[in-house]
Amino acid sequence: MNGKKVVEIKNLVKNYGVNGFCTTVLKGISLEICKNDFVAIMGPSGSGKTTLLNILSTIDQPTQGAVFLDGVDITKISNKELSKMRRDKIGFIFQDYNLLDTMTLQDNIALPLSLNGASGEECIRKTQELCQMFGLSGHLRKYPYQLSGGQKQRGAACRALIANPEIIFADEPTGALDSRSSKELLESLKMVNDSGRATILMVTHDAFSASYAKDVYILSDGQMQCRLSKGSDRREFYDKIIHMQAAMGGDCL
Amino acid sequence: MSMMNLAWRNFKSSFKNYLAVILSLSFTILVIFNFQNLLDSDMFALLGKQNGERIDMLVQTVSFVLGCFMFFFLWYATNVFLTTRKKEIGIYVFMGLTNQKIAWLYTIEVTMIGLSSLVLGIVFGILTAQLFQMILLAISDLSVSFSFHFALRPVYRTAGGYLVMYLVFVCKGYVNLVRSSVLDMISAIRQKEYVKQNVWLLFVKSVAGVSILFFGYYMAVKEGGQEVMGNVLAAVALVVIGVYLLFGGFLPMCFLGLAKKKTFLYRKQRTLWINQVIFRMKRNYRTYAMTCILMLCSVTALATGFAMRSRYDAIVHFRNTYTYQFLCGQKGLDAKVRPLIEQDNQIAYSAQIPILLLDADLVKTRFAENGYALLSYSKLRDLAKASGLEFTLTEPNDREVVKVSKLHMLSLLTDRSHETVTINGTVYDQVVETTVPYLGYFQELMSFYLVNDDEYQRLLPLGEEQWSYHYQIRDINNFAASKEALDTLQDDMAGEKIARVTIDPNSSDIEWIKMMYTICIFLFMVFVLASGSILFMKLYHDAFEEQERCQTLIKLGVAKRTLKKSFSHELQIAYGLPFAVMAVSAYFSVHALEKMMYTNLILIYLRSVGVVFLLLCFFYVLSTRIYARNAGIK
Ligand SMILES: Nc1ncnc2c1ncn2[C@@H]1O[C@H](COP(=O)(O)OP(=O)(O)O)[C@@H](O)[C@H]1O
Ligand SMILES: [Mg+2]
Repeated sequence: MNGKKVVEIKNLVKNYGVNGFCTTVLKGISLEICKNDFVAIMGPSGSGKTTLLNILSTIDQPTQGAVFLDGVDITKISNKELSKMRRDKIGFIFQDYNLLDTMTLQDNIALPLSLNGASGEECIRKTQELCQMFGLSGHLRKYPYQLSGGQKQRGAACRALIANPEIIFADEPTGALDSRSSKELLESLKMVNDSGRATILMVTHDAFSASYAKDVYILSDGQMQCRLSKGSDRREFYDKIIHMQAAMGGDCL
Repeated sequence: MSMMNLAWRNFKSSFKNYLAVILSLSFTILVIFNFQNLLDSDMFALLGKQNGERIDMLVQTVSFVLGCFMFFFLWYATNVFLTTRKKEIGIYVFMGLTNQKIAWLYTIEVTMIGLSSLVLGIVFGILTAQLFQMILLAISDLSVSFSFHFALRPVYRTAGGYLVMYLVFVCKGYVNLVRSSVLDMISAIRQKEYVKQNVWLLFVKSVAGVSILFFGYYMAVKEGGQEVMGNVLAAVALVVIGVYLLFGGFLPMCFLGLAKKKTFLYRKQRTLWINQVIFRMKRNYRTYAMTCILMLCSVTALATGFAMRSRYDAIVHFRNTYTYQFLCGQKGLDAKVRPLIEQDNQIAYSAQIPILLLDADLVKTRFAENGYALLSYSKLRDLAKASGLEFTLTEPNDREVVKVSKLHMLSLLTDRSHETVTINGTVYDQVVETTVPYLGYFQELMSFYLVNDDEYQRLLPLGEEQWSYHYQIRDINNFAASKEALDTLQDDMAGEKIARVTIDPNSSDIEWIKMMYTICIFLFMVFVLASGSILFMKLYHDAFEEQERCQTLIKLGVAKRTLKKSFSHELQIAYGLPFAVMAVSAYFSVHALEKMMYTNLILIYLRSVGVVFLLLCFFYVLSTRIYARNAGIK
């Protein structure tokens, strides 16, 4: 790994429930993500992927441990700073798109930037640039209900990218997409990562999606079980992941 | 679990959500109760004795208006409730409940809401009744005093009327639910509203809306003769339609236009709230239009009240120009009358003038009048001097007359140019009309026309000249003191032509106008509060739909403050647009009133629009507080 550290997780623990009856979802997780990484965290349903991502993205609080985002410990800052952090440093892609149905795709994508106070011209320029990259140029004026799932998710990716965040968190971005749309989305994400525009952390239960990442961590039983790094070829990497899953036993997927 | 239990649970758990409906309903009940209470009070009993018929008519009209108001309000509230409930109760379809059961559930819930509103409304009604009556009395300064009392009759009446109407809507809702297919209910749950606007339709609507609205304004202020009544009715219809189209077409189109201008849109929260306004406008335009029209009604009602009031004052002043007025066939009555009056009163001023009474068959005017008389210019000037009244009239030319008329309460004749009078076949141009009370109450009894002295002499043979004498005493309230002496004089002169008018300054034959004024204020308050609470109720419910969107935005890192700012903009639009359209429309309606009531109402217009503004500000502030909370922020 090279470049500066964007995210650093130290011994993260998360419990749910009241004392006595609590379940520990994350049992001490440590992880580092550097600039221009594309990391996938894989794990079966209920393994705590969303929980981890929510903590990283400051939506949830950890029970123990520290999370450094761009050098700042997010467990120790105020709510106001947190939302500023989310706004300026983090981009989100959700499983169910979460585009606002009241506005057009273009407005949805431009929204974070315009809320940050960027000028109208800049918003327009950047939206068009990103839409070009994600193959959405023909759909700018459409409302979310007029778009396919894949288009919506690519739109959400554009929205996540527009404010030039330090890192993008994607929670099962392909979860609601068919295989073709998934592939288009992942290709696009890979392309922006390759071109040095984004650092991405993606959680998924799907080996195919994970194989687009540069590094894959496998989460199980609340702990990082292992890490796999991609060589040069994606297909090879995919086989490697499948192999590892099989080796780890049926409970993994 | 029994239906009753389930309904009770639903009612309890969602009480907060229905608070707006309950409050609005109880507000309506409060209004009706207060009105019934007013009817039941001594004030009305007293006034009724004095101006029986007119008050009865007034009461019936207002009852009707309030009844309609309550009807529509209930309709609206239960409809809003039904649509929101349909989505929630629809879920029970999946649990295997039949339509009948679901409808029954709805009926129980809605009955609970109705009853709690009724109780709340009556309790608050009783608590506010005294305050309310005091306020009304203070503004209207009716010359009746009355004691406060509490009676059960208004309670029965209000509750009775309300329950009957409510029952109708409950039944309507029941039937609606029983009849709706399972598919309907499920789709009600999943229903997503889309921003789908047919641009051409919008365009047609906007063009039609704007032109209809302005045509309505034009009709309202257009001067005319007998057709004015028709014009006013047309204006009302046109403005109502125009306002609906404006909110359904023109305004959404404007906002869509703004949303298309990206350099304008992408600035701070604009992206959020302008899109939100477009989204809401599509669904809520009927509500906006309705509140706008309600407010328009309220301002017009208030202006009418004030105009009547100022007219009332003017008429009282007009009548009190002279205390005693005589019309006599012979000259020199003054010598007999003056000493008689001076026995018990001091004369402040007095005047006399010959009047040429014309036979009604000889005179033709646009509208037939009670009687016609001519005055000569120089004599009237003398009279004005003696009575201390202003006199700025220039002497009319031959074939010209000046109408010396009474003060009208209201006239539909707004175009008063080119009036003519035909006397004995000769046409005279009416150059000007004056309402200076030169002849006081006489001017209410017949029509006077002022001609120049030569013309007067020429016309003298056509009629019968009589002499009129006018006296104003110092203490006009002491008018009765000289009555006996004057009565005796009249009896003594029984063989001659003599007529007398005595003005009682406390006469209450036009007291009903004050009542009218009071009721106009009452209606104003009701309409304004109603429109405010309708908007409030709508926004209160809309806010719940924002929860999901807000959650997304917060996840995206949009600060709560930013969201709240965006909400305030949105709410400003929701309250501001109906207000603005109302303010413009009200200007025209008040202007039309001005013409019909010969009064300057611009100040009243500004004041009542100001009051509406303040009230809406109050509702706006209330909404901003609650909107964010209902949308799930903090
Ligand atoms: N708010 C919560 N309260 C209690 N338990 C929770 C909560 N959120 C998640 N969990 C539990 O934590 C575990 C991990 O959930 P999640 O992170 O959503 O898994 P994943 O996203 O990997 O499918 C699950 O067993 C879930 O039941
Ligand atoms: Mg998950």
